[in-house]
Amino acid sequence: MNAAYVIVALPLAGAIALLFAGCLPIRGPVGKVRDPWSGWLATAMTLGAFVATVWVWATQVGRSASGRSSDLNIFTWIPVGDLHVNFGLQVDPLSILWCLFVTGVGGLITLYSIGYMKGDPSFNRFFFYLNAFVFSMVVLVLADNYLFSFLGWEGVGFCSYGLVGFWFERNSAAVAAKKAFVTNRVGDFGFMIALFLMFKHFGSFNFSAVLGPLSAGHATLAASTATALTLLLLLGAVAKSAQLPLYMWLPDAMEGPTPVSALIHAATMVTAGVYLIARSAPIIHFSSSGQWTIAWIGAATALFAATIACNQNDIKRVLAYSTVSQIGYMVLGEGSGDYSAGIYHTVMHAFFKALLFLSAGAVIHALHDEQDMKRMGGLRKHLRITFPAFIIGYLALSAIPPFDGFWSKDTVLAAAFHKSPALWAVGVITAGLTAYYMTRQVILVFYGQARWADQSAAHGAAGHSAPPHEAPPTMTVPLVILSVASVLGWLLNAPFGGLDFINRWLAPVFPAAIAPSFAVHTGTKWIIGLVATAVAVAGVLSGIAAWRRQVDRPALEPAVLAHGWYIDEGIAAAVSGPLARTASDLSFEVDAKLVDGSVNGIARLAAESGRQLRRIQTGYVRNYALGIGAGAAVILFYVALRAGS
Amino acid sequence: MIQPLHLLGFLGQASPASSSGCTIAPGGFRVDGFCTDPGSLHIPVAYRSIIPVLVLTIGALVMLALSAVLPKRARPGLWPALTALVGAFSLAGAVWQWYDLGTAGAAQPTIGGQIFYDRFSVLFLILISIAVIFGALSADSYLRREGLDGIEAYILMLMSAIGAMLMAQSGSLIMLFLGLEIMSIALYVMAAYHRRRTQSGEAGLKYFILGSFSSALFLYGVALIYGATGSVEFGLIGNFLTGNVIANNGVLLGGMALVIVGLGFKVAAVPFHYWTPDVYQGSPTPFTGYMAAVAKAAGFAGLFRVLTQALGTQQANWRPIIWLMAVLTLGIGSVMAIAQKDLKRMMAYSSISQAGYVLVGLQAASATGTSGALFYLFTYIFVIVGTFAVIGLLQGRGEARSDLGVIRGLGRRQPLLAGVMLVFLLAQAGVPFTSGFLAKFYVIQAAVQRGQYWLAVIAMLAAAIAAFFYLRIALLMYSSDPAEPGPLPVDVPPADAGVLTLGLEPIASLDLETTLVIDPPSRGPVPVPLAVGAVLAVSAAFTIAAGVSSFAIDFAKQATTLF
Amino acid sequence: MDWAVYLVGAAMILTGALGVILLRNPVHCALMLVFTMFGIFLEFINQGADFLAAVQIIVYAGAVVILFLFVIMFLGVDRKEAIGAERLRFQRPLAILLGLVALVEILALSRVDHWVSGAPAQSGALKGAGSNVAKLGQSLYTGYLLPFEMTAALLVIAVVAAVVMSRRHQPSAGEMSPAAQKELRESHQSALSASDPSLAGRLEAPSE
Repeated sequence: MNAAYVIVALPLAGAIALLFAGCLPIRGPVGKVRDPWSGWLATAMTLGAFVATVWVWATQVGRSASGRSSDLNIFTWIPVGDLHVNFGLQVDPLSILWCLFVTGVGGLITLYSIGYMKGDPSFNRFFFYLNAFVFSMVVLVLADNYLFSFLGWEGVGFCSYGLVGFWFERNSAAVAAKKAFVTNRVGDFGFMIALFLMFKHFGSFNFSAVLGPLSAGHATLAASTATALTLLLLLGAVAKSAQLPLYMWLPDAMEGPTPVSALIHAATMVTAGVYLIARSAPIIHFSSSGQWTIAWIGAATALFAATIACNQNDIKRVLAYSTVSQIGYMVLGEGSGDYSAGIYHTVMHAFFKALLFLSAGAVIHALHDEQDMKRMGGLRKHLRITFPAFIIGYLALSAIPPFDGFWSKDTVLAAAFHKSPALWAVGVITAGLTAYYMTRQVILVFYGQARWADQSAAHGAAGHSAPPHEAPPTMTVPLVILSVASVLGWLLNAPFGGLDFINRWLAPVFPAAIAPSFAVHTGTKWIIGLVATAVAVAGVLSGIAAWRRQVDRPALEPAVLAHGWYIDEGIAAAVSGPLARTASDLSFEVDAKLVDGSVNGIARLAAESGRQLRRIQTGYVRNYALGIGAGAAVILFYVALRAGS
Repeated sequence: MIQPLHLLGFLGQASPASSSGCTIAPGGFRVDGFCTDPGSLHIPVAYRSIIPVLVLTIGALVMLALSAVLPKRARPGLWPALTALVGAFSLAGAVWQWYDLGTAGAAQPTIGGQIFYDRFSVLFLILISIAVIFGALSADSYLRREGLDGIEAYILMLMSAIGAMLMAQSGSLIMLFLGLEIMSIALYVMAAYHRRRTQSGEAGLKYFILGSFSSALFLYGVALIYGATGSVEFGLIGNFLTGNVIANNGVLLGGMALVIVGLGFKVAAVPFHYWTPDVYQGSPTPFTGYMAAVAKAAGFAGLFRVLTQALGTQQANWRPIIWLMAVLTLGIGSVMAIAQKDLKRMMAYSSISQAGYVLVGLQAASATGTSGALFYLFTYIFVIVGTFAVIGLLQGRGEARSDLGVIRGLGRRQPLLAGVMLVFLLAQAGVPFTSGFLAKFYVIQAAVQRGQYWLAVIAMLAAAIAAFFYLRIALLMYSSDPAEPGPLPVDVPPADAGVLTLGLEPIASLDLETTLVIDPPSRGPVPVPLAVGAVLAVSAAFTIAAGVSSFAIDFAKQATTLF
Repeated sequence: MDWAVYLVGAAMILTGALGVILLRNPVHCALMLVFTMFGIFLEFINQGADFLAAVQIIVYAGAVVILFLFVIMFLGVDRKEAIGAERLRFQRPLAILLGLVALVEILALSRVDHWVSGAPAQSGALKGAGSNVAKLGQSLYTGYLLPFEMTAALLVIAVVAAVVMSRRHQPSAGEMSPAAQKELRESHQSALSASDPSLAGRLEAPSE
């Protein structure tokens, strides 16, 4: 039995068990919600999958570069005509890398949630979603064909819908879930069309059939086909990874249980788009315009989201926009042709963003669900573990050497510089903004006056009477682990001393035929690194200067940025409103007013003049008959045009 | 090989007619020309080709006779059990026919050319037999709850099944029309069966009037086709059109258009769908499921027969019409469903949009498209009968509620029932590993094969839109009961546009003592009768099984004998 | 001569049909239906289908319309049709327009003289040798045997449907009369309107 099956099977088993646990009369110690057993079960399953992934990885590492890929067929699903869709797992460096951090980070999240979700009435449902999410994600990355991968893709979307709307009693959560769902459907739609185009062109969905010949250099692809496929797949990736122009669901997704669903959206799920782009590299290679589009979407998103992040007051929304921005870097790296740079940043980002979110969750937990940074402050004295953890995450995200973010961002910037200095310039400006808004956040949350105390005093003793408390060990242990990873993780792909493990590991996936290697001069690299560091430090310093003493600086917080350039509102006004209204109007106007309204009126009339069967019935049926007659007339008209030909 | 049943002589395999004046076609299945000899009033009747129809007819008549003999208050559950038994015999007969036919291929007209004996027919015979069994089992508890139990409903069900079978088997336009009428008239009465519920009577009358209207159009179309080709038999029409070029094909096309209208009405394709929401909502819930399954299947069988067998040469003329109907049906069905707040009404629109996918398969006019459409119809009956069975359970006495609220929190109250409903919803949404996904996949693939990329894109878009409301119901089931904000003044029919606009005047105004008990469902779990539970279990199991393995598509492919 | 008979028959059919839908008195409508039947009778005679013509008169004019008249008499003749009460404003002109359009389309479709293809009709020409009844009977019992037999199913349905529709019901406690159902629904509607005024306007009938 190949261990790869275990990676898929364990989360699935967990999800099924938790689904049916709802039927069992098991009672946890905390009352009727099976708390905390379902949490432990889910954690065990996810971490088990992680162990299996490590096992697969260990066996792969020993093999030669070409022997690292294997295809395991589970069963043949759709046998129709010449199309045979197999459900198989493709174990190769790319999928295993993704599995490593999906199951690893996912396991830590699950563990952390046991403490965070304690006492929630839907405890069980939550962990069902978590396991189902991990399962879908693992399927997404391990699948050996696009169709199977798409199933995982849909599953991830569904779980995210469920998790964002987990507290759907809150209207905002329900709306956010709907938004996430609809936005993702747009992307899925692109993906679906790409699938059909692919089937039309290659006659298969299998990676080995579609991508194999391309990456081996045996075949080429017409630029037009490649561009169409690239752009359609990109549409899917953009929606899932919250890039421009489909980014707006992610900040709203913070309505999910704090910070667990946010974390999923930050560290794992949103990287699905990055994965899809990396996987489709052989196709993208044949579309120059596609590459440019990807690179510029990444760069633009990075800058755009960073500007918004500078002016958010919700601790989670800052991190959410920062996530959008960082994924922009990953996409930028991929668009620049250096896939391993993008992936390197993805992995590093998974570490430090998970750390930041978990720390933010601990802060929120400590302040009894307070999320407004303007009501925080001075927490460094109270949260002895969370504070240093957050600082480490902050330094990593701000790309201060030698933390994780510096190295990976530097690699991306080098690639972008090679592609176009303009891309590089956008990246550098974004880096400065990143350092600035993170500094602002740290100061507002951990330094200065303890403003939460004022609040509690002002509002009476209701909520905040107790001083902030550190979180339970299930929540702090993941913090410590992720802190270590954020400090040392960069060694996985350090650009010196032969430490570029990720590059070498991924080399078989991105052969020279589809990802021509390029070298940036060592001198240039130094300059890029120094410039980036200088900009980051400048960002930090300006942040300190601006926010050291004051909490409110309206001049630095223009409403246009706080509202995310009003894009959300604009879209809501322009699209959602009319669209949503159209459906209900159609129903109301055609059905209710036009047809049934007439029925109503006639019924009333009939009641007045004594009930008359005939009158009532002909009254409304004739309207329907008119519709049918109109349809018939249209068809007759059409055939009358065709007749005689 | 000697067929055991053949020995009886009963099955009437081809005894060549001896009389003069009649041309007996090779194989002895049909009589061509006009028999002048009075002694030749005999045609060979291949009884084997109509076994299910015979079983249902005899079963219905025996049940009627029994009801006259048995005491007035017969054992409850006797009639549904007998109906299911008759359905099972019919199913067995149909399965026997399937193997009797083997992979014979092309259709054989029998009994004077009026019906076809081929696997395409047999698939529908099997489908309809299953629908009868499911319909009888799921209607029983409902009818008893509503105080409507009696033999009449089951007789009507069997009769409508006979009509549907004749439609599916029809070899001529006359047979098709007769089957259509037999099925429809029984269904009109079934829609109005809950007479004390004003909406039900209204549904019946609306269905009846509009159905008659569309039948008239259909019949006019038949007359025009006969005028243009000189025949009503599909095979002869097809032969004539292959062999001759009609100078003016206007009459033929006009007839084709009207036949499409008449059958489009039965399958609830836009723009002939207006009756569907009202009728589906007003009819007794288990009958709605039965109606949605059988009428749709039979209507599509008729469309396939007419368009591909008789008018296959006119593809260039009818494919654009079906294309447009498919697009409209997909779009309007999906969009309108979103705005509904009543479960039955929402499912009505949903069934409209599902018909759109079958139209996609039909318009492909290819073997792939046909087998995809057959797969779609065959798997759909399990889904739709199951869905309406669940809704029927939840409604409470007198169909007190069918708004979305009744399903809220079902996952907590009755996890198994909710799980089954989830399977049906996911299948309708086209989620992988359910039959619905493969069904949509096949028809869309057929469209792509014919180069209909836009249609494929529209179909996928409609699927994306429709997924929204299915998932909304699904999530509603798994959401917890909110603190009820206090009941509305009267906790009866749902407070939304759909229902308010519907329920009006009683049909039978003369019948002033018609009354109705309205008793909203309690908050607790509803009891699931054994028969309904069995239907649900089988349906859900089939829906998943057909979604993960290929037996159902193989079945549908073997039944694609039209190409 | 054929065409003259045809024209007379067609005129009768159309006059009768128009009378059925235009006359206000139901009894007159029924009588106009009889007029249409006579027109069809003429056309059958013209085609040489003597037997069908006789059946047409005996069954439709003699039985069906008489039944109609019975029902009309029972319901009361004095009630006038309130055709003026139209809710959909353009229903009538639109219906007339559509009817005309459909007519024009059908005419356009059959614009050539010899549109009947001349393909041999299955049951042979009725004007040929042999008795009319015998031909019809042979046709029914050979080529159209199965449809002929299956019409029996329609009769069974009719009987059962009549039983269903006319069955009396003993009201039991807690049941609601139609009036009560309606009242209840209206109170529900007003409650809804009160809770959501935006909905109320849309659901009201346009007449008020």
